[in-house]
Amino acid sequence: MNLLECLKSRQELDSDLFLTPMRLSDRTVTLAGYTSLIDMPQTMIVLRQLAQNDVASDHPLFALDSGLGVAMQNPDEQALLDAIAEGDLLIFSDEADRCIRIVPVSRTLSRAIESPTTENVLRGAISAFNEDLDTNIGLVKKHSLSEKLRIRSYMLGKNQRRRSVLLHMEGQNHDRLLESISNKLESLPDKDIPDLQALSELLGFSKWSLISRFNTTELPQEAASALESGKVVLLLDRFPFAVVLPSLLSDLFVTQNDRNFPTVFRVSFQILRILGLLANVLLPGLYVALVAVNPEVLRIEIALSIAGSREGVPYPALVETLLLLVIIELTLESAIRLPKTIGPTMTMVGGIILGQAVVDAKLVSNILIIILAATTIANFTIIGFQNATALRLYKYLLLVLSAMFGVLGLFVGMVIICAYLGHVSTFGIPYLTRWKTGGRHG
Amino acid sequence: MRKCVLRMALFASIVAWTPVLSGCWDIKDINHRSLPIVMGVKQVDRAYKVLLLIPEVSPSEAKAKIVSGSGNTINEILDEINKNMEYKVDLLHLKVIVFERSIAEKGLDQSVESFMRSKDIPNKTFTAISEGALEPLFEKLEASSGSGGTEVYDFFEKNAGWSPEVVQTRIWEVFRSMDSYTRDVVIPIIKPGRTTTIESPGGAVIKNGKMVGDINSEESLLYNLFKGSGTQGKIEVMDHATVKIVSDRLNTTSEMHAGQAVLNSRLHLKVTVVETVGTPTEAQIKKEIDKQLSMRFNGMLRSAQAKEADILGLGQLFRDEMSRADLQHWRSKYYPFMKINFKVHVVIQDEGLLKIDV
Repeated sequence: MNLLECLKSRQELDSDLFLTPMRLSDRTVTLAGYTSLIDMPQTMIVLRQLAQNDVASDHPLFALDSGLGVAMQNPDEQALLDAIAEGDLLIFSDEADRCIRIVPVSRTLSRAIESPTTENVLRGAISAFNEDLDTNIGLVKKHSLSEKLRIRSYMLGKNQRRRSVLLHMEGQNHDRLLESISNKLESLPDKDIPDLQALSELLGFSKWSLISRFNTTELPQEAASALESGKVVLLLDRFPFAVVLPSLLSDLFVTQNDRNFPTVFRVSFQILRILGLLANVLLPGLYVALVAVNPEVLRIEIALSIAGSREGVPYPALVETLLLLVIIELTLESAIRLPKTIGPTMTMVGGIILGQAVVDAKLVSNILIIILAATTIANFTIIGFQNATALRLYKYLLLVLSAMFGVLGLFVGMVIICAYLGHVSTFGIPYLTRWKTGGRHG
Repeated sequence: MRKCVLRMALFASIVAWTPVLSGCWDIKDINHRSLPIVMGVKQVDRAYKVLLLIPEVSPSEAKAKIVSGSGNTINEILDEINKNMEYKVDLLHLKVIVFERSIAEKGLDQSVESFMRSKDIPNKTFTAISEGALEPLFEKLEASSGSGGTEVYDFFEKNAGWSPEVVQTRIWEVFRSMDSYTRDVVIPIIKPGRTTTIESPGGAVIKNGKMVGDINSEESLLYNLFKGSGTQGKIEVMDHATVKIVSDRLNTTSEMHAGQAVLNSRLHLKVTVVETVGTPTEAQIKKEIDKQLSMRFNGMLRSAQAKEADILGLGQLFRDEMSRADLQHWRSKYYPFMKINFKVHVVIQDEGLLKIDV
């Protein structure tokens, strides 16, 4: 009776908690759980069915082997609350102070399996992860039907409990990588993981890192192929992305989906992405270097045409470029959160501003418009939004160095970026490693 | 912790000092520089006069203007022009330097050396010699500068209007020839054209930086042939046929026989027949080509030998057979008496759409 009293006092604080009396095979019981998590009418039907079966087979309802869920032995209040919070239903016997915990019919709180929203697939499996962890595990399992797939489950966080699951392929792994990741997850079980940055901190990555140390993908197909190649996949509850560790430079250019195309096309796609990366990082810096510091590198015709198009532009090339780059970044940033109905407005306004008006107003030269359009387009040839975001930053370094030292500055900037990339490593696996399935790294 | 703070401080100081120390505020954008394309140099008595053809571009139109000045040295004049211009004069894009004939005859040493010494004039700038006075030439260039004054550059540029009878000589080649024992150079001669912007009647033979003679367009072709610039597309008109050169290859062997230089050279030409007069046979056409080119070559070489100007750089071929002391006298002791066997081997690759009677 004591436990029930506890829950009753709790109910006053949490109106979502229900305590419903019910007759089950001639006994009065009290059901306890969260209305928002449990589909009550369905659960009651199932309960009645189970109770009748029990009566038919001559089992007392609250016997240990009744088959009606798990009997809780002398639970304390916290254990009860945890069980309810996880969405389970508790059945209290009115006669004895006994309690059974069962898995009810729960409300559908996840969306159905849909096509991805951040990654498009042209040729390949289109289903994407959603917020439900078990669905996600199921999706990965469907995509890699292998008896070697191993799953470890963790409950992380203290205030915010969050289930997370580590998947890896037995025998394919780099042991040290797996050991390090599972050690980190096991050593800090009380740390809350509300977001990926917290996960990154939990895994021991610097918060100042300019490179995403793990890849996120929305596609079970990509997760499965990462597992296949010996990487480790981490799934978090309520997070519709798989976290793939470690992230390497090649993840910018190579995607599993490419393998659905003939080799020649696959290689050309990859070359195109590399060119896209170079164009995105180099073009604004190159423009400033060539226009302001080293015009002798240009051919005379283009030099004259740029000089003509800059006639009357009051700002130096660096300011001009930064001005337009900031407008483009603003456009990108606002487009992310815009409702789809307002999206076209953005396109139109952005198109007009960036298209002609800014040139007519003599704020920037029209060659710069071409350069920045190319830069922005090239930015998104890279695979993964998180990688594209990282790239957006590098071009500013090159831009500033180019404005000061010209083409030399551009190359120095490249060297700095390469040195930084060379210094990054994830659990002893350098970022610039060429990943080999089953290979030894680090 | 201490190390971390130190590192942060170092990083912050690098970030802070880099812009301060770079001097980037002195950088001038491309639209604040004037980029002369052609420079003309002439000498009046002892004073130099420099003319610059500067493109003036705006988004709507492109034209050019002439700026000139005179003074004791070229750099003094450039400085004076720079002072008076609204933009900074930037010679980085200088494409052609035109010398007046009179200054070429007096000697180009001083001006070429100053161009080579200067850091902002590219060494690959073309050189040319104006047959007449510079001013009419520049006025013609200014009048016909539809694309910002790049016409004269396009005239010499291989991927634009260059043709195999026009010599291309860059400033570094002139400089190289000034101190070389075994190589002289030809600078193209230009003048304002009657209907075209400019025309090139031939080239000037420059020996040790001084103009000592000239060659005509036909001979310029042979000069280009020896220089390896290619003769594709040149049309040769003979008595019975007109042919177009499709490709060329030159083999030369050199030997010294008792103090006499002997050069055997064999020119392989592939030609297509463009026009015939009457019905010549293939053998006849080949013979005519051989005769015409050999005569022209021997004529050119004899006159060059007489001036002791090794424009074809034939001395280069004997460098491994002579001591350095002998090389000094190449121009005077060996070159004028060099024996040369020039043979032309012709393949008629194509007879056009009509057949030739064999």
